[in-house]
Amino acid sequence: MQRNKRLSVLLCCMLAITILAGCTSSKTGSDDNAAPAADTSIKIGGSSTLAPIIAQCADDFTEEFKTWNKVDPSLPEEPIVIFVSTGGSGFGMKSALDGTFDFGMVSKTLKDEEKAQFANGSITQLGSDVLVIGVNAENPVAKVKPSMTTEELVAIFSGQIKKWNELDPSLPERPIVVAVRDLGGGASEVFDTAIMKGTPISEDALQIPSMGALAGKIMDNTDTIGYVSSGLVNQNPDKIIPISVDGIAPTLENINSGAYKVGRPLLLVSKDQPNEREQKFLDYLLSEKGLKVVEELGYIPVVR
Amino acid sequence: MINPGIELKENIIRYTIIGAATISSLLLLAMLLFILRESWPIWSQIGISAFLSGSSWKPLNSPPQIGILSMIVSTLWVAGGALLIATPLGFGCAIFLAEFAPSSLAAVLRPVVNMLTGIPSVVFGFLGAAILVRFFEVKFDLSSGESLFAASIILAIMVIPFIVANSEAALRSVASEYRHAGIALGVSRQYLTMRILVPLARKGMLGALVLAFGRAMGETMAVLMLAGNTLRLPGSWFDKGEPLPALIALELGSSIPGSLHYQALFAAGLVLVLMVIAVNLCVNLLLKRIQKEV
Repeated sequence: MQRNKRLSVLLCCMLAITILAGCTSSKTGSDDNAAPAADTSIKIGGSSTLAPIIAQCADDFTEEFKTWNKVDPSLPEEPIVIFVSTGGSGFGMKSALDGTFDFGMVSKTLKDEEKAQFANGSITQLGSDVLVIGVNAENPVAKVKPSMTTEELVAIFSGQIKKWNELDPSLPERPIVVAVRDLGGGASEVFDTAIMKGTPISEDALQIPSMGALAGKIMDNTDTIGYVSSGLVNQNPDKIIPISVDGIAPTLENINSGAYKVGRPLLLVSKDQPNEREQKFLDYLLSEKGLKVVEELGYIPVVR
Repeated sequence: MINPGIELKENIIRYTIIGAATISSLLLLAMLLFILRESWPIWSQIGISAFLSGSSWKPLNSPPQIGILSMIVSTLWVAGGALLIATPLGFGCAIFLAEFAPSSLAAVLRPVVNMLTGIPSVVFGFLGAAILVRFFEVKFDLSSGESLFAASIILAIMVIPFIVANSEAALRSVASEYRHAGIALGVSRQYLTMRILVPLARKGMLGALVLAFGRAMGETMAVLMLAGNTLRLPGSWFDKGEPLPALIALELGSSIPGSLHYQALFAAGLVLVLMVIAVNLCVNLLLKRIQKEV
């Protein structure tokens, strides 16, 4: 009996805690939305590609200065608070426009009409997420065809060409294994914009759940061709061989000059001109420390 | 003479338990309703039959093509295949543990088999991707080693402990009179087990299979890493495919909330839940019929 009682009390408590936990989390959520206008925190949201970079920089920034007056003596002595949340590039732009966030994180090329929406505000590029078309180092195609044309790439990725020897007769008669990221995700969107231009990806393409696994697939399997983040190719220089597109190699110079097109910019957008605090944080992001984080996480930092 | 204090306590406990049970059932109902609400535009605009029988999944094209036949077929292949591998092994192991194993050996084997249930599925998936996929590529000279078969093998290892534990429990719960009567009649141990105990325990053993099938259908991580995730309709066990849980896990993160793509993924989730529920219902009916016969 005693034991049953204890058990029931325990169960009641657990039930109550669970229900209360549900309440609290939704309550804090609504508090966030109803933040007063005098709030000096910086709210940033959007692309999940950019979020780790900004979050890391925000952490470093807060850690280094702690209060605003240490960033700049003219600012009041208030703690630095920077919120970073994810939800996708589209969400980032929308939220920056409706004022939910001070900055929207956007990892895609802005169309002209989208740029116009931020004409009174700011568009800041931190770097680029570049996709490199890579093959296994042991695949002879790396030597035979170190550069492919857009048409050849479309033929391979759409499944019109299924064997390596159809690409070049000197290559072995083995199936081409096409590895892509999930269709509809950011990376496949970039690839579609730059290369495929609407041609559907082959139904036989392996959809790999993460960039790391895709790079691993190329390193493990000699017949695989796929697109990977430039950072991953740089980390495994002898195992993944980059293929040039229309003769343009994915080198730093070509990426920065804009000649190499398979990539997307990493942008911060705001509806209004950034205020003093926001500008300080932007400056920090574009400083050596901020751009180092961009590079460490596998992206190409913007040239200043 | 009942102490009123005890009666009050009893009532509190009673209502707490009833309350908890009601909340759990409501939770299931609420979940189903939520998924149905989120996926409603798919059912009303595309239609149940077109959604289920369409084999082309291009939710981002314009006009979008949304059909999940390939995924349903892949799900059934992987889960069914896993059961095909796991059933003989699982039943054999259960019968051995319940009837034949010396108690010292069983004392070692049982916890080891049970421990398999505690291994996170991502670890299984990772091992499968690292070992099995490479093995197929090297041994059978395949261009890429991912296949429904590879996923089935890993799933089989994952569901074997469930089959073993549940069917062993079923064998042990057969009333001891049958065992005694068998021994008294002088039948061999094999005869006793195969002809008397197993038929008596078949309800529980079938239940174990259903549990395993449901788990295999819903398992995400291992199939995501091993099935290859291609959109083509799989023609055999050795083709690649994309089971429903893999589809949802892969694409939900990048779909825009409220878009047709997002709704289609919810609809796929509903189909998966209903498939698992349907299997459970079928087996309940089957078990009732078996009970009548006994």
